[in-house]
Amino acid sequence: MRMRRAVVGVAAGVLLAAAPVMAHHAFSAEFDINKPIKLRGTLTKWEMINPHSWFHFDVKGADGKVASWMIEGGSPNQLIKLGVTKNTLAVGTEMIIEGYQAKDGTNKGVGRNLVLANGQRLFLGGSVNQLTDIKPGAK
Amino acid sequence: MSQRFRAGSGFVIAAMLSGLATMSVAGQSRATAKAYTAPRTPDGQPDLQGIWTNNTFTPLERPKGVTKEFYTREEALEVIKRATLVESEQTEPGTVADVHYDFTQFGLDRSQETMALNLRTSLIVDPPAGRLPPLSVEGQRRAADRAAARKARGGTHDAVQNEPLGARCILMDRNGPPMLAGAYNNGYQIMQAPGYVMILTEMLHDARIIPLDGRPHLPANVRQWTGSYRGRWEGQTLVVETTNLTDKFAFQGASENMRLIERFTRTAEDTILYRFTVEDPATWTSPWSAEVPWKRTTGPIFEHACHEGNYGLYNTLAGARAEEKKAAGEAEKKETSK
Repeated sequence: MRMRRAVVGVAAGVLLAAAPVMAHHAFSAEFDINKPIKLRGTLTKWEMINPHSWFHFDVKGADGKVASWMIEGGSPNQLIKLGVTKNTLAVGTEMIIEGYQAKDGTNKGVGRNLVLANGQRLFLGGSVNQLTDIKPGAK
Repeated sequence: MSQRFRAGSGFVIAAMLSGLATMSVAGQSRATAKAYTAPRTPDGQPDLQGIWTNNTFTPLERPKGVTKEFYTREEALEVIKRATLVESEQTEPGTVADVHYDFTQFGLDRSQETMALNLRTSLIVDPPAGRLPPLSVEGQRRAADRAAARKARGGTHDAVQNEPLGARCILMDRNGPPMLAGAYNNGYQIMQAPGYVMILTEMLHDARIIPLDGRPHLPANVRQWTGSYRGRWEGQTLVVETTNLTDKFAFQGASENMRLIERFTRTAEDTILYRFTVEDPATWTSPWSAEVPWKRTTGPIFEHACHEGNYGLYNTLAGARAEEKKAAGEAEKKETSK
C-alpha cells in the first residue's frame, strides 16, 4: 500500500522528466507530415556521419524505373558504442523504409522506421550482434 | 504502427532492467562520497581521467508536485522506468512529433547508455526548493528585450542566422559550460597533463583545455562561446571558474557576465560528482547550484563533426522556401480567380 502511494507521488514528476527526446533541429521543419512514404529499397551507400546519418537507397517504382533516395537517420556516436560499424550494414541490403518526405519535394526523407527484408527492425532490440549474422540480401 | 512501439518498449525494459543491476546510487550520501580517495596522476593530481557520462532522467528543476529532495530507491527506479517507456514511445504516429527517425533504433534513447542512479528529485540543490531562483528586475527586462529582438528578426526559418545555435552546429544549450545531459551523446573525456586538464564534450565535440597555473582570465572584451576558464585544485576537487561568456549564448537566460564555478570530485572508482554554481545577479536574485553524478562508461568517443554532415539545415531552409513558394502561388491563384 505504501509502495502504491509512493508511485502515485512520483507520477507528476515523471511526466515532466520524460519530455520527448529532442534532436538538434526541428524535423517537422525539414520533413512533411502530409507526405508519408513507404519505400522498399536497396542500400547503395550509408553515410555514417554527424549530426545525422544518411542512408542512400535505390528504389524501384511501379513503372520499373529506379530512383535514388536519401533517408535521414540517427547520429552514429551511440551506435559505435553499441558495436555497430560502417561495415555492419552492407551495400546491397534490402530494406523497407517508413517515414516522411522532405518538404521541398525532392527524393529525401526521414526514416521513421527502418526494417530489414526479414522483418527485423534495424539495429533495434539488442540486435546489434544478431545483425552481424545476417547475410545481406538473405531472406 | 503500434507494433513497432511495442517491440521498442520490450527491448527498452529489458535493457533498463539489465542496466539497473549495475547502477550505483549516487548523490545521496556525501559522507560516503568523501571517504574515497582518487588515485594520483604521475604529476600528483587527483586522477579524473577517462570516459564519463552524465546521462540522467533527473530534471534540472524539481517537478511541480514533488516536495522532497530525494526519492526512495523504489521511487527513483519507477521514475526511470516510466521515463524510459515514454522516451521509447516518444511520438504519436501521424503527429508532427512522428516526423523523426526512431531514437531507439540508433541507440539514442537514454536507456541504452550507462546511467548513474540518482535519487535526487532535481539537479538543482540550491535553492533547496530545487528550482531556479526568481529573475531579478534586470533579468526580467533582458528576457523581454531578447524576446522582442527575436521577433524583430523574423521567423526561425527565414534566415540561417535565425536558426537555433544547435541547428547551426555552434553550441547546444546543454554543452555549456555548465555541462548537462541531453538524451544522447552525453559522453565526456577527461585527460590530464602537468598544468592542464582537458575536457572533451561529445556533443558538438568541444574541448576545453583548462590551465591550472593561476593565470588571469582573458581580457574582459574577449568573449567566447565557452568563455574563459581557469582551474585549480582544492584538495580532491578540481575547481574551474568560467567567465567572459557571450550574450549570443544565454545559458538558461543568463547574461554574458555570468560567472560559473564547476567542481569535479571523484567519489568512487567509477563516479565523479559534478557540481556547478551560477552567479549572475543581472539575471537571478540569488546564485544557484546543481549537482549530477558522472558515471564511467565505455569509449571511444566518436568525433561529432556536426557541421560536416549538417544537410538538415539546408533541407529545413529549402523546405521553408518551398512552402513560401506554394503559399505565394495559392495566393496569386486566389487573386486571379476573383
